[in-house]
Amino acid sequence: MRPKSKKTRHGFDLLVKFLSSIAALIGIIFLVWIIFEVAARGVKALDWNFFVAPPTPPGTEGGGVANAILGTLAMLILASLIGVPTGIFAGVYLAEFGDNRFGEAVRFASKVMMGIPSIIVGLFVYALLVLSTGHFSGFAGALALAIIMLPIIARTTEDMLALVPNALRESALALGSPGWKMTLAIVFRAARSGLITGVLLAVARVSGETAPLLFTALNSPFWPKSLNQPTANLTVTIFNYAMSPYRDWQQIAWGASLLIMAAVLTLNIFMRIVLRERKKK
Amino acid sequence: MIPEIQIMKPEPAPRAENRSDVVCSYLSSEVRLSVRNLNFWYGEKQALFDNNLDILANKVTAIIGPSGCGKSTHIRVYNRIYKMYREQHAEGEVLLDGQSIMGQNIDFIELRRKIGMIFQRPTTFPMSVFDNVAYGLKLHYRMSRSELFNRVEKALTRAALWDEVKDKLNAPATALSGGQQQRLCIARAIAVEPEVLLMDEPTSAIDPLATAKIEELVESLKPNYTIVIVTHNMQQAARISDYTAFFYEGYIIEYGVTKQIFTKPQKKQTENYITGRFG
Repeated sequence: MRPKSKKTRHGFDLLVKFLSSIAALIGIIFLVWIIFEVAARGVKALDWNFFVAPPTPPGTEGGGVANAILGTLAMLILASLIGVPTGIFAGVYLAEFGDNRFGEAVRFASKVMMGIPSIIVGLFVYALLVLSTGHFSGFAGALALAIIMLPIIARTTEDMLALVPNALRESALALGSPGWKMTLAIVFRAARSGLITGVLLAVARVSGETAPLLFTALNSPFWPKSLNQPTANLTVTIFNYAMSPYRDWQQIAWGASLLIMAAVLTLNIFMRIVLRERKKK
Repeated sequence: MIPEIQIMKPEPAPRAENRSDVVCSYLSSEVRLSVRNLNFWYGEKQALFDNNLDILANKVTAIIGPSGCGKSTHIRVYNRIYKMYREQHAEGEVLLDGQSIMGQNIDFIELRRKIGMIFQRPTTFPMSVFDNVAYGLKLHYRMSRSELFNRVEKALTRAALWDEVKDKLNAPATALSGGQQQRLCIARAIAVEPEVLLMDEPTSAIDPLATAKIEELVESLKPNYTIVIVTHNMQQAARISDYTAFFYEGYIIEYGVTKQIFTKPQKKQTENYITGRFG
């Protein structure tokens, strides 16, 4: 037996450091590249009409995606109205009462649901709502998005509530607090920023979803008058316009991509700030 | 090693001290909490064995013993807080002012108003100093805004905290120091006018100066409350308690006037523990 050479050890150390640095660099390069590319190409599409006008036929000046912005926002809000309370209360069940077989089943189910490709959720809602009503609708789109949000919010809520120390629960109960008040007034407050993070994460996740909207909300060149009809939305607009042979439509697709990217990026940064506030406390 | 089952009434001090205040007050004191044949399980594992104990009203009773001997488990039965955990269960009887608190349809909310609890670490709620104290009050009483304020002020004053926090009632409770937070928890507990205060090692996470303040506070609360304090710190038990119970491996080995427990313990195990031979 002889001692390992210091040089070899040092060499391996350097090699591993080098390889992992390269890998990390590749990761960040693509992020920066995507942001830069989308911003550079998209920014040309952003003018006043882009935000306030409905689409025009190819070759006609002054077209925008205002109807799609509105439609996407409406569906996101409706999806949140369905998905956020349900997801949060499912998470409350899992964290506070889910220490049983039913809870285990729900936990497993939500894990599986998070892994289900979103196109399948779209197909499911298509079969459920679109076929039965006979037409595409914004309601169907919102439902598909809500179903995707549900497990994300339930899981993050459970995780965040689990971080609240039991001593806090005990002291609320020991003061004579009823169980529901302990959860809603004390535990929720303690986990507040975490819950907000979970909701924002879910919203950010679904705001870029295209597949589940393709056969639920579809798309529309008109202003959304009601969610009970095919509803214009940004992601399917990007899909249609980018695939079209018209230059001006392709340009608008880049603009819409930039818009979504900026929105999701802002949500993520906002989330970071919320989390940092929490750590400071 | 297993002591025979007997009801632990504090033994009066030896004759020579019969006239001491402590003993006289014992003779005239009423029993606030009676524990009879209390057994406790964590799942399959039994943690308390046939505990019998009488806690006297308006006295400080210290519970001492080595780690894991069941001190905290024992007092966590008094307010039934162990019920939060499905796998824990207790058998036996605990009477508060002669009334059983172990029944199936006990109103936990009223029970826990009467029996407050302070924990090892300060457990301030994530809200303002004022709201921390007001939270419990609002749970149990209806009152006007001005009365609420008066009651909060009174509770903070009794917890010897008012002067330190009167200018930051709206600041988050987490902005206070550890010792202040613990006194805030005491203020919160006494605001709802309990009869009994359970303190589960209330100073173990707090620096010596803040500990001294809390000990003074315990002393000042004695006339109005019955206090049961679990402590690891034998000097603390000797300083602030009137009666001391020594727990070992889930059994109550000895219970008596504090002075006697610390100077003339009747049982070998008690003597070994207080002289530092184990624990």
